[in-house]
Amino acid sequence: MQPIVRLSGIGKTYGAGETAVSALVDAELDVFPGEVLLIEGPSGSGKTTLLSILGLLLRPSAGTMSVHGRDVGKMRESELAAIRASVFGFVFQGFNLFPALTALENVSYPMRLKGTSVKSPEAEARRLLELVGLGERMKHLPADLSGGQKQRVAIARALGGDPPVILGDEPTAALDSKTALAVMELLGSLAKQHGRAVVVVTHDPRLERYADRVVRVEDGRVLAPERPSQRTSLAGHERHAA
Amino acid sequence: MWSFARKILMHDKVKFAVAAAGVSMSVMLVLVQIGLYLGFMENASNLIDHSTADVWVTGEGNENFDFAAPMDERVYYRIASTPGVDRAERVVLAFGQFRLASGGNQGVEVVGLERDAELLSPWNVVGGDVRRIHEVDGIAVDRSELPKLGLDGADGGASPGLGARNEITGFRSRIVAMTSGIRSFTTSPFVFTNLETARAYTRTRDDRITYVLVRRAPGTSVDALVARLDRIPGVEAHARPSFSTRTRDYWSSRTGVGTGFFMTAVMGVIVGLVVVGQILYSGTLEHLKEYGTLKAMGAKAGAIVRVILYQALISALVGYVIGGGLSFLVREGVRAAALNVVLSPNLLASTAVLTAVMCSAAAILSIVKVLRLDPASVFKG
Ligand SMILES: Nc1ncnc2c1ncn2[C@@H]1O[C@H](COP(=O)(O)OP(=O)(O)OP(=O)(O)O)[C@@H](O)[C@H]1O
Ligand SMILES: [Mg+2]
Repeated sequence: MQPIVRLSGIGKTYGAGETAVSALVDAELDVFPGEVLLIEGPSGSGKTTLLSILGLLLRPSAGTMSVHGRDVGKMRESELAAIRASVFGFVFQGFNLFPALTALENVSYPMRLKGTSVKSPEAEARRLLELVGLGERMKHLPADLSGGQKQRVAIARALGGDPPVILGDEPTAALDSKTALAVMELLGSLAKQHGRAVVVVTHDPRLERYADRVVRVEDGRVLAPERPSQRTSLAGHERHAA
Repeated sequence: MWSFARKILMHDKVKFAVAAAGVSMSVMLVLVQIGLYLGFMENASNLIDHSTADVWVTGEGNENFDFAAPMDERVYYRIASTPGVDRAERVVLAFGQFRLASGGNQGVEVVGLERDAELLSPWNVVGGDVRRIHEVDGIAVDRSELPKLGLDGADGGASPGLGARNEITGFRSRIVAMTSGIRSFTTSPFVFTNLETARAYTRTRDDRITYVLVRRAPGTSVDALVARLDRIPGVEAHARPSFSTRTRDYWSSRTGVGTGFFMTAVMGVIVGLVVVGQILYSGTLEHLKEYGTLKAMGAKAGAIVRVILYQALISALVGYVIGGGLSFLVREGVRAAALNVVLSPNLLASTAVLTAVMCSAAAILSIVKVLRLDPASVFKG
């Protein structure tokens, strides 16, 4: 199967000279459609750096990278932004929702700003909020939503424009453990139902049961998968489905 | 995207109120200060602008309308007999001393007009009979100047001051007509009367006049007439509009009256700039994470800039409406103090543009901040 994103020989060095930090060394990683990929590793090991490069937010210092087979190494920032808008959806630990906007607006306005081809961003936002189980909370402001609900809004926002890859940096870290599992399950089901790749950085080993593949990062090195894919968890998805 | 910008801007009501107040203040200062200036300028040339003369003729070398030196009356006859002149009228304009009941004197700017004058006569008459200024001691003064003349509420009636008897430079005067809103730039009240009385009040010789007003005959162009009259020795002729501009420019540049008003207006703009800039910037910092998220999501830089610019323009609009409204209130308020604030369509339109530019400039710092924002920062802390 053709990977959506392919990283090979990727290195990243922050700063220069005496204070240079080598955050990533010779990293190899492919992201395939429909898989849930977990990235684990100790603090400071380079997980966020890896995810940022994967999402075209950060340029690597070495190596090559392609998205849908196209080399992105020499692209201008505006071209990278256009690929980000169409290929990646982002989910954050702190949700990053506009406090002034309702759940619906937090999903529909960014869709407009991205310039997606969606005809009615508002109708699409409604559909996505239904999909993440927030049909009843569309008019609520973030302040009136629970952490899990906020993250669902953020996931709906990430789904705007139907990107083939969702990237999350510790999206469950700010949630209590039950909610964290439910959010991860939602992400997992999005991958299973729509053939999307879901890449999640986490410290929480309990999320592994929703993963097809777990990659460890240690000291800037991406280690080979520890376990084979855990297809057995599929049944669990159906059991927890909202 | 307007509604997006509006919601972000108005979410923090207090901040938005401060921004709107800042812009309102700024708009009001600009409108009132420049409006006052325009009011003074309107006063500077009001006699000229309200005349129906095509040409004003004055003694050579007179730069100052209000302090023009008199010229020989024989000039008038030459002008009247010049081809292309349909009608010519003499005007005496000079200063006299109005004796106050309290014992002091108030300088007045006396305007002497011909009997049956057609080219200039007091306008906005609100009381009495303006034709009676041709009686030997009849004068017309402006209602707003009565306090200066020590006559406010003299007879307690509907037209206080009407009928009041006084002395101007030792000659009797009686107020026979009252106008509203005719004020001089020199701040000495205008006193309209007939030619002879004006000469007495101002100690002007009997064969002297200050201006000759001319109406052209049908078929004669104003320019041709001005050129022809200009050839008469010892005089200068000016078409009415250019004479008006010349008079305004003289007062504006010689007194520097414009500078003070413009300085205050500029201060107003700076205050607005700083307040709006500060509010927008702190709002931008507050939402930096979210703007970064939009960038990470691939939103075009132009789209994000628009969201911030629109917030600036909404502040501009709200501030302009409030500040403009307040300016109209101020105009009514200072009318009692006999101050004329001219809120012309031109001034209102240019202030609207200025406000939009000011607020957009105030947004620059925020825009730069967001454009410089590294999209990778969204995954940090
Ligand atoms: N902008 C930066 N400038 C300099 N050094 C950086 C920068 N960002 C990250 N680093 C360094 O690179 C290394 C990897 O950082 P990274 O954020 O990728 O780690 P992480 O695995 O995400 O850690 P955590 O689990 O704590 O989030 C760390 O040593 C960090 O200090
Ligand atoms: Mg990290």
